[in-house]
Amino acid sequence: MTPDSIPQMTPGYRLHPTQDVVLIPEGVLELSGPSRDVLLEVDGKRTVREIVHNLAAKYEGADENEMLDDVVALLGRLAERGVLQG
Amino acid sequence: MPATTRPQSLICEVTHRCPLHCLYCSNPIEMQQSAAELPAEVWRRVFQEAAAMGILHLHLTGGEPLARKDLAELIQAGHEAGLYVNMVTSGVGMTEERLAGLVQAGLEHLQLSFQDADEARANYIAGTRAHAWKLGLVPLIKRQRLAFTVNLVVHRQNLDCLEEMIALAESLEPNRIEIAHVQYYGWALKNRSLLMPTEEQVQYALPVVEAAKTRLRGKIHLDAVLPDYYANFPKACVGGWGRQMILIDPAGRALPCHSAGILLGFEFDNVREKSLSWIWEQSPAFERFRGDAWMSETCRSCDRKERDFGGCRCQAFLLTGDMEAIDPVCTYSPQHGLMEELRKPVGDELLPIYRNS
Ligand code: SF4
Ligand code: SF4
Repeated sequence: MTPDSIPQMTPGYRLHPTQDVVLIPEGVLELSGPSRDVLLEVDGKRTVREIVHNLAAKYEGADENEMLDDVVALLGRLAERGVLQG
Repeated sequence: MPATTRPQSLICEVTHRCPLHCLYCSNPIEMQQSAAELPAEVWRRVFQEAAAMGILHLHLTGGEPLARKDLAELIQAGHEAGLYVNMVTSGVGMTEERLAGLVQAGLEHLQLSFQDADEARANYIAGTRAHAWKLGLVPLIKRQRLAFTVNLVVHRQNLDCLEEMIALAESLEPNRIEIAHVQYYGWALKNRSLLMPTEEQVQYALPVVEAAKTRLRGKIHLDAVLPDYYANFPKACVGGWGRQMILIDPAGRALPCHSAGILLGFEFDNVREKSLSWIWEQSPAFERFRGDAWMSETCRSCDRKERDFGGCRCQAFLLTGDMEAIDPVCTYSPQHGLMEELRKPVGDELLPIYRNS
């Protein structure tokens, strides 16, 4: 995962409509902190950089560069677990 | 003891009909007849009750779920209730058109099981020529928006080929590979002597699995459950009796585990008559082995009881005739010696016993 990747949810892996979990074939993955907000932005169209730019507007006072690093790391972990493609 | 946890998954054996005759089939030997199968409207209510209880996953299994003509309707009912719908299939009877209909109805995950890497051996195990058919199905599955798992069912007859089997599964590029050891219930119990792996086989398999996990990391997720016949402590059976899952058989009986039907003197409430939440919270069958009051003093005073919940009741019953006995897999069981008996090699001249459909 890089700032220019375009992440997309893998079919059969999805955010629960209300709870802080991702539904995966064998169960659930618990999400912590702002992970849910990040995943809500993943649409298979925008790059990680664009997603972070959007999010930064919501989290006042957040440093966009730092946020980019965190989001790339988070999405990278989810991609490794098969939740995301791209 | 009342329920202290919320169930996470609902496993529905929607039919016991199946075109295959696997040697390891865990279906009960007295199979439910198709006339007694729950109709779709009852399943629909059960799925809604499950979702209201906080259950997230619905696993449709069998038998072969495709044997139900109304399978798409069942999937849709589960999906509309808000459940994540998975199905476990042999693939026999699947067509591209049918699959597309199931996905449109809300199917999110499909598990296709393989019996071996070698066609002749796989067909021998399945009692049917199904291997080539399954392979042909994979490209169709991959064209759908669907998570895909390859299930490898391992036992004495194929464990030596585990590397080959993993390589086959890998070549199909699924999201997941699940390696499960047969469980000795139902038809599988009749064939136990043919299916029970040797200790050498298990010792060979463990590092093979670990190496595959490492090699596939980030590409294919691998889950493996190998047998506990050579372990010194039991595993928590189904995450503990009445703690994580509910299984409904084709006729609507609710069971705390796949094989609880073998336990004698047990009545299982039926979802035709009782709500799922009543069954979970109050039915005698689900209460029976919750907590530690039923346990022997050995287990009650043992630290591991919070981890293994006293082990598998069905295994204890099958091996000792007493369903309250300490699981004989446990070193502390006075009957641990029975495991030695079971591990003894048996002649390969025994004839397989296939389930009939
Ligand atoms: S015969 Fe095989 S495919 Fe059919 S239900 Fe039994 S294990 Fe499953
Ligand atoms: S004594 Fe009972 S609780 Fe302790 S490890 Fe053995 S089976 Fe588990």
